[in-house]
Order: sequence, then structure tokens, then C-alpha cells
Amino acid sequence: MSKALLEMRGVRSAYDGVNVLHGVDLAVRAGQTVALLGPNGAGKTTTLRVAAGVQPISSGRLVLAGRDVTGARSLDLARSGVCLIPEGRGIFPNLSIRDNLWMMTFTGRSRGEIEEIAFSRFPVLGKNASRAAGTLSGGEQQMLALARGLATDPAVLLLDELSMGLAPVVVGRLYEQVAQIASDGVAVLVVEQFATAALAIANHVAVLVRGEVAAQGPPEALRTHLSDLYLGSSR
Amino acid sequence: MSADSSYPTASSTATSGGRAAESRAERFARELRDLKVSDPSDGHPRLWQRVGAVLMVLGIVVGVAAYLLSHRTSSSLTQGDAITIGLGGVTLAVVGSAIFLRYSLTGFLRFWMARQSFEMNILAERFMSGTNGAVPVPRDPARNYTRNDS
Repeated sequence: MSKALLEMRGVRSAYDGVNVLHGVDLAVRAGQTVALLGPNGAGKTTTLRVAAGVQPISSGRLVLAGRDVTGARSLDLARSGVCLIPEGRGIFPNLSIRDNLWMMTFTGRSRGEIEEIAFSRFPVLGKNASRAAGTLSGGEQQMLALARGLATDPAVLLLDELSMGLAPVVVGRLYEQVAQIASDGVAVLVVEQFATAALAIANHVAVLVRGEVAAQGPPEALRTHLSDLYLGSSR
Repeated sequence: MSADSSYPTASSTATSGGRAAESRAERFARELRDLKVSDPSDGHPRLWQRVGAVLMVLGIVVGVAAYLLSHRTSSSLTQGDAITIGLGGVTLAVVGSAIFLRYSLTGFLRFWMARQSFEMNILAERFMSGTNGAVPVPRDPARNYTRNDS
């Protein structure tokens, strides 16, 4: 089995002195999709932010492809191939789809290459390339966010709440794309509240409760215990 | 900051077909090996902003002190020194202001850009909820719209 591309070892992190993560241990291998589940306020988004280098680590290590990069700038990590797609998509609503995609030329790729990557995976974006991103449906906006992420040629893809505000059918289609992305050798870490959708494509699941990984393992093993982990055991 | 030796090295990938044959994971490992991990300079902008403010104030104080010094003497030599000190004070104030502006403006512009983006998102959401997903057809500027147009 391949080595982990993303590893978090005993990571602790805080906002203004308030601890949010209390020693998170997590690993994502190339081609693997790990779903990070948990109730509101468990620290899922913070975990992603730490992995992207956006949120500073109080203690513990962030290791990427065997290299300790604790304290590295998020910009350097992004250039190396760590891509965070934040909750709320982070697209520019007043710009067209094409303009949104062209933003990613900072990676050194040409406009043509970026459009090729985006439109081959999401043909609907190609058909509406001149439309303002703000006028797209929620699912199409999420596709655009994913396409922009893919344009950076990520080695590690961090997805925050892909399903937010979307119909289950659309979520299913988007997760099919995520599974395809992972099968190309990308390490995917998905934060999700819509557990069923994430469990359907994940190879590994970690449940975060109050800033700690309460349980992790294959989806089949955790599926039945999820409600206990979210709400606390009834016993 | 250590690199794990179990990941392929640049030379090993070269012998197994060169960089073109590298997988994304291998390329990622190579790029990270080359990455210079600097200190998380989280506090640096704030520190520079403070340094700028201190220099600015110090420059003004030195300038005023030099002015007072030149006024309290009739010696042209001392006045010459005061002019030199005064010029130094002005330089300090200018440099301090530049540093202060550079770091305070960066913070402000970042905040402004984030706010712009946030407001655009809200506007787009309002627009979408108002039009129920339909995209308005732009008016044809070549056509002469009149009151009786339906």
C-alpha cells in the first residue's frame, strides 16, 4: 500500500487561545478518499484548514508525502499541490465561468489547458462558459469550484461540505466525480455532514467529536455506530 | 524538517524513466523536498506595523527636538548638527510611515477584498432567489424601446 500523502500527527489548534483540535491523528494515502464526519463544532473545517496550512498548529506535526511541513505557508503548500475547496465554494459570482477558471493560471497552466481539464470533466460548464458564475445552480457552482481545484493539478484535495444546499441527486453526481478524481491517484479528504453520501465513496472514515478522532476505520465498520458517535452512546 | 527516505528521490525517478514518468504523488514528494519551510511568519506583519509606527513617532520627536536644539543656540556649528539630526528625524519618519502604510494597507486590502467577495456572494444569492433561477435577457441596445413596447 502506498505511503500517506497527508498525515496529521497529534495536531492541536486553537482560535484566540480556545482549543478546537485536541490531538488529531489522521492519514490519507494517494488514491484514497477519507471522509471526516462529525457533529457541528467538532473541528472538521479546522482540520481541513490545518491540512491546507491556513490555520496554525499549536502542537503536533503536519506531514505531507513524508516531509514535515509544520508551519509552512499555505501559499507554498498550495503551489506544491494541496488544494482546499472551502465551504461556500469560494467562486467569484460576478465573473463568468471562464474568468473563474482563468484565475487558476497562477499555477503556470495555460488558459486552454485549464479549460480542457474543467470542460472535459464537467461539460455543462463548457456549454455555459460565458455565463456569470452567480447565475449557475448550486450544483453547477460546486462543479465550478471542483473544476478550479482540479486545474491546480492537486495531489491532495481537501473538500469542505460539498453537499451544502444541494439536492441529494446532485450530491450523488458530484461525489461520483470525487471518486473519479481519487482514482487518478489524488489523496482526497472530505468533510461532510451528509454522512450517507460521503460513506458511499469513502475508503476510510474518521469521526471527529469535540476536536478528537473518536473512531476511524472502513465505512462498513462505522456505518452502524455513527449515531452513537455523533450523539453519545445510549448505554 | 526531514524528508522521508522511503519516497522516491529525484535520481531514482530519473533512472526509472525520468520526470515525465513520475506519478503525481512522486512529483508532490519531490516538490515538497525542495520546499523551503519558513518560519510561520504569522506575527511578522504585526511586528513590522509596530516598528513602522514607532519609527514614525520617533522621527517626529527627533525632528522637533532638533528644531528646539537649533533655537536654543546661536552657535552655527550646533545649528548644523541640529539640521543633520532634524534631517535624520525626517528620514526616520518617512521610512516609518512607509513601513506602517505597507503593512496596515495589506491588512486593510485583504479585509476589503474578502468583504467585496462576501457581498458579491450575498448579492448573487439575492438575485437568484428573486429570479427563481431564471437568467434575465439583456436588452438589445440597437432596438428603440418605447412605452408601448410589450
